[in-house]
Amino acid sequence: MTDLLKTSLYKYHKEQNSKLIKFAGWQVPFSYEGTIKEHNYVRTKAGFFDVSHMGRIHIENDQINKVNNLICSDLANLEDSKALYSIFTNKEGNAIDDVIFWKFEKYIILICNAINREKILIHLTNHDIEHKDITFQTSLIAIQGPEAISILKNILEIPDKFYTNFNDKFTYARTGYTGEDGLEIMYNNSETENFIQFLKENNIKPCGLGSRDTLRLEASLPLYGFELSESITPVEANLKWTISNKSNYLGKNIINKQIESGDHKYLKRFVVNSKRIPRTGTKVKSNNINGQVTSGNFSPILNKSIGFVLFDTAPETDLIEFDIRGKLLEGKIISKRFLS
Amino acid sequence: MTDKKYLETHEWYSINENSITVGISDFAQGELGDIVFVTLPNVGDKYNKGDSMIEIEATKTVAEAYAPMDCIITDINSQLDNEPEIINSDPCGSGWIVKAEIINLDDAGMSYQEYESFIS
Repeated sequence: MTDLLKTSLYKYHKEQNSKLIKFAGWQVPFSYEGTIKEHNYVRTKAGFFDVSHMGRIHIENDQINKVNNLICSDLANLEDSKALYSIFTNKEGNAIDDVIFWKFEKYIILICNAINREKILIHLTNHDIEHKDITFQTSLIAIQGPEAISILKNILEIPDKFYTNFNDKFTYARTGYTGEDGLEIMYNNSETENFIQFLKENNIKPCGLGSRDTLRLEASLPLYGFELSESITPVEANLKWTISNKSNYLGKNIINKQIESGDHKYLKRFVVNSKRIPRTGTKVKSNNINGQVTSGNFSPILNKSIGFVLFDTAPETDLIEFDIRGKLLEGKIISKRFLS
Repeated sequence: MTDKKYLETHEWYSINENSITVGISDFAQGELGDIVFVTLPNVGDKYNKGDSMIEIEATKTVAEAYAPMDCIITDINSQLDNEPEIINSDPCGSGWIVKAEIINLDDAGMSYQEYESFIS
């Protein structure tokens, strides 16, 4: 794995004997003490994730209207210091990437999926958007859990939920990907040693991408490459709430038509009263409507299997049947989020 | 009981007279991550060498374990129904999965040293 990219915390991950995996060209920790243990740290106390492999792009605010033409949410009219989850769409209305914007008075920070960073950089260039890729000079750490904020308030001024803040060392937002409260913090790589020291002193446990995946699934959050891709629109991915852009962004007509007609694919949440896990690609039927599991895993909190399934059209019933390697397993579509 | 032997598919087995005990290796449990569910065969089920006997669901993936030789299941580790995680904590001890009567002895597995160099 010599050619893989390494984050500034690589030495720390090695010291902690983490299980390192290859992901989007990076060498990243999958787990340290075990996925379920790490999952529970985040649900009950606080854990941190090195998510420095994610793309970070600095864009001056004079470019904001051009960016607004490429996403389904209204970034241009967003209040300064707010964070925004949105989706870059193509002219078919399909998702190029799902991203977070941190908006400040003079600039925005665009945080994109590692797997899509180069694609987004090219997309920005193709639309004459001036930008600066700051991925390699900075680190991004997500500290999440019910105790995260009370620990972090000792060193940082805490913004309201979905707001951002910064000081001379850290740029951060009260956002995350776990369903728990916490901050996502960006800093210059030269700060890494000090920051690790802070995390150690406060007994915030490292968590890997394994638990990041089980946590995001339990929090009903989509993952690009699974729930989202260039063959699904935000409407189909059950992300209609992100669509707030009044300007003529790419794919707007198709997206609006889908909203009006209801004639499109449907992404639904499912639960199975079993620990047998319908995994990605598992075929599903709801009466005569076919679907396929996009993500499925075991929920440590619910103690059952959960996931997302994408149906070709609106499912006719909530009762569904999975074909798991030739054996049929019953499950149920649920409208509420997995965790209340 | 003989020393454990290992297969390329990461099962271990040990032979005791006409019976084998089967589990998965420490390396395999580490690769799978947290094990949450094990689908066990029934006592009396008959398998040919290489047949899939066991299905192991873990947070990272699902894996199958295969019959090391032709055999008939005589006992299953029912503790795994409620505590599948013992395969993670003690894969070669209390995390054994099945015992079976040997139909055709085929003691071709790797020694621990051979297996170690196989996985390294």
